Amino acid sequence: MSEVECAVGPAERTPVPAARSMRRYNAAVARKHAHGGVTALLSDVYYSVVIVGIAVLMAIGALGQLPVHEPPVGTSHATSLAGLTAVAYLALAGALIGSAGRLGPVGAGGAEATWWLPLPVDRRGLLRPNALRMVALGGVASAVVATVLAFAVPGGTSPGRSVAGVAVAGVAAVVVAGLLQVWTAARVAVRLGDLLLAAAPVAAAAAVLGSWQPESVLAVPWWGIGLLGAVAVGGAFALDALLGRIPARRLRESGAVAAQATGALVSLDTRELGRALGDRLARQQRRRSLRMRLVGGPVRALVVADALVLARSPRHLGQILVTALVPALVLATPDLTGSVQLALAFLVAGSFAMLATGEASRRAEMSPGVDRLLPMGATATRRARLIVPGVVMTLWTLVALGSVGLWRADPLPWLALAVLAGPAWAGGALRSAFRPAPKWDSALVSTPAGAVPLGAAAVLARGPDVVVLGLLPATIAVLAGSVPQTLLLVQAVATAIALRWGSSTETRTLMDRLAEAQEAAGEARK
Amino acid sequence: MSRARPPAVLRVSKLSVGWTGRPVCGQASFTLPAGRSLALVGPNGSGKSTLLRAILGLLEPLSGSVQLLGVEVDERRASFRAQVSAVLDDDAWFPALTVAEHLYLVARGHGVGDAQDEVDALLDEFGLTGHADVLPTALSSGQRRRLLLAAGLVRPRSLLVLDEPEQRLDTATRQLLAERLNAEKEAGGAVLVATHDPDLLAAVADRAVIVGDETRLVSTAEAVDALRPGVL
Repeated sequence: MSEVECAVGPAERTPVPAARSMRRYNAAVARKHAHGGVTALLSDVYYSVVIVGIAVLMAIGALGQLPVHEPPVGTSHATSLAGLTAVAYLALAGALIGSAGRLGPVGAGGAEATWWLPLPVDRRGLLRPNALRMVALGGVASAVVATVLAFAVPGGTSPGRSVAGVAVAGVAAVVVAGLLQVWTAARVAVRLGDLLLAAAPVAAAAAVLGSWQPESVLAVPWWGIGLLGAVAVGGAFALDALLGRIPARRLRESGAVAAQATGALVSLDTRELGRALGDRLARQQRRRSLRMRLVGGPVRALVVADALVLARSPRHLGQILVTALVPALVLATPDLTGSVQLALAFLVAGSFAMLATGEASRRAEMSPGVDRLLPMGATATRRARLIVPGVVMTLWTLVALGSVGLWRADPLPWLALAVLAGPAWAGGALRSAFRPAPKWDSALVSTPAGAVPLGAAAVLARGPDVVVLGLLPATIAVLAGSVPQTLLLVQAVATAIALRWGSSTETRTLMDRLAEAQEAAGEARK
Repeated sequence: MSRARPPAVLRVSKLSVGWTGRPVCGQASFTLPAGRSLALVGPNGSGKSTLLRAILGLLEPLSGSVQLLGVEVDERRASFRAQVSAVLDDDAWFPALTVAEHLYLVARGHGVGDAQDEVDALLDEFGLTGHADVLPTALSSGQRRRLLLAAGLVRPRSLLVLDEPEQRLDTATRQLLAERLNAEKEAGGAVLVATHDPDLLAAVADRAVIVGDETRLVSTAEAVDALRPGVL
């Protein structure tokens, strides 16, 4: 840029430096102050490659081990695994475009927004590495998903071609989101992504009802992939040329989302990740809810507030609705139908639904001020928070186990089991919501997945541990294919334990408590 | 014979700002010539910061226009960013850069020739020399505010925009700030400042805009009066 005349400021002027030299200055200073060297960087890269490889191999292995049962007798509507894979690709496209739109895909948050964006240097040069990173990330994420699906659905298109095609499509999707960010608001990409994502369960239902049973998916020829690649590369060049046209306000918005999302990943908080990617587009102003008139005491206040949080979050409502249909979808896919797969689908889908019902509790854990103002003890408050997740998850379980009952042609015992098992999820939802954040400032453990804070596994296990215990009888019933009366009794006991455990306000671990009890006993003996 | 008027650095015409299509305050219209200063005053939430953000091109206005030196504001133009220095309520720092390195980054990025000398002089002026080599996160909130002010002054500019610069500053630094802003005007720069501080307002502003349902241009004395408790 030629020198601009300014009225005030330092007299001695030189030409404004290139953006690259500003980035290099930052990088050089960061290197100067850094404690690690190239070895640390290489070891980080090594760890990343190893963990992605291990995850992919584990997923492929697990999918290969799943037993394939005969299709259920009397099922008039069904789809094939390839049909489901096509739906999975539709969901992947939606998730990719939607996430790219929410994250910019080009953004500048935090220090970059404050210190870089006001500089009169070529903004395109500042943003280029960020844009390249997002495009590459889109390609890699798509390739990983495609690799798993390609090995899970043998036959048809060669795995190499599938992976290459999906990776190129992933790159193209992020590039399109980037171009939309330049020309319009990011909302267009977000809406497009959400539309595709919402279309996925509809497509799955249509595939089942229409008995769509393709033998393979994505039979795109190599020349087609090459053509798509050429379009993606052309789009990427266009995006690069237009980076300087993105207004600072959009860069700041998407940068802030990316920073919040990164924070959520570091604190291993999936709900916070959802909030980062969803809440900024949510309406900031709401009508005063009539439901608040129902408030007539602290317990009702909590219940109404929890219900309102859930009702005002379409993302979570959708999550609950879609996951409730997963067991039915597994039953309608002969290639997947089997007791083990069904039990896995029940537990995994239920866990996702459970997380959605714990949103209000998670917010209370992060901002406990309102709870502390209520004239109730901590335990009573915690128990009141079981009500909404309990009711919602009971309805969810009625749908999920009801479809199993219909499949087994004996729905009544399964519905009874659902009523008894449903509330157990609420225990898991609360235990998961009120879990502490991992302590990144304490000792770190070096693992093939990179540095992990001591106790991270225990933090992540809070919630799923209650699910395993509380839903064990129901899972056994799904595996065994029947609901004996004794099992109903056992389920009632397991649910009671899950509710008690999940609503406990105890923060110490069992080992800590045993050690302290032993210490106290020793002191008493003295 | 009429006196020659200084050229307008900033011209704001019927500017309406807000969120989701709803204006947060009445339309603003004013002109800020070189060598003058204008203050925005009003209670919390009246729309001062929103107006500043729209003037800086960081928020799309609902209607109206903003011109800098006769050209419509577009922060994507490097020449606009070279002319306008803004000190907002940002509190984000590069984790690896020290206090001095943050200032050096700004000075170098604006093509300041003797960047290190300028940085040293401002560190001294704002009482940060002893903290030059620490990370900004190790500073107190008031010291970080001083660092932001120094960053706004370490680079060339024609218009200086400040959003409540008196926040978190001690009395001595507020006086220093007032002196600095008056020096800015004397050097030919234009100053646009949003403030709640009647002393700063009286010491610096030539005119003021009371921001509210009916945004209006007033004299400094009237604005100082308006800042008394219970008036706005």
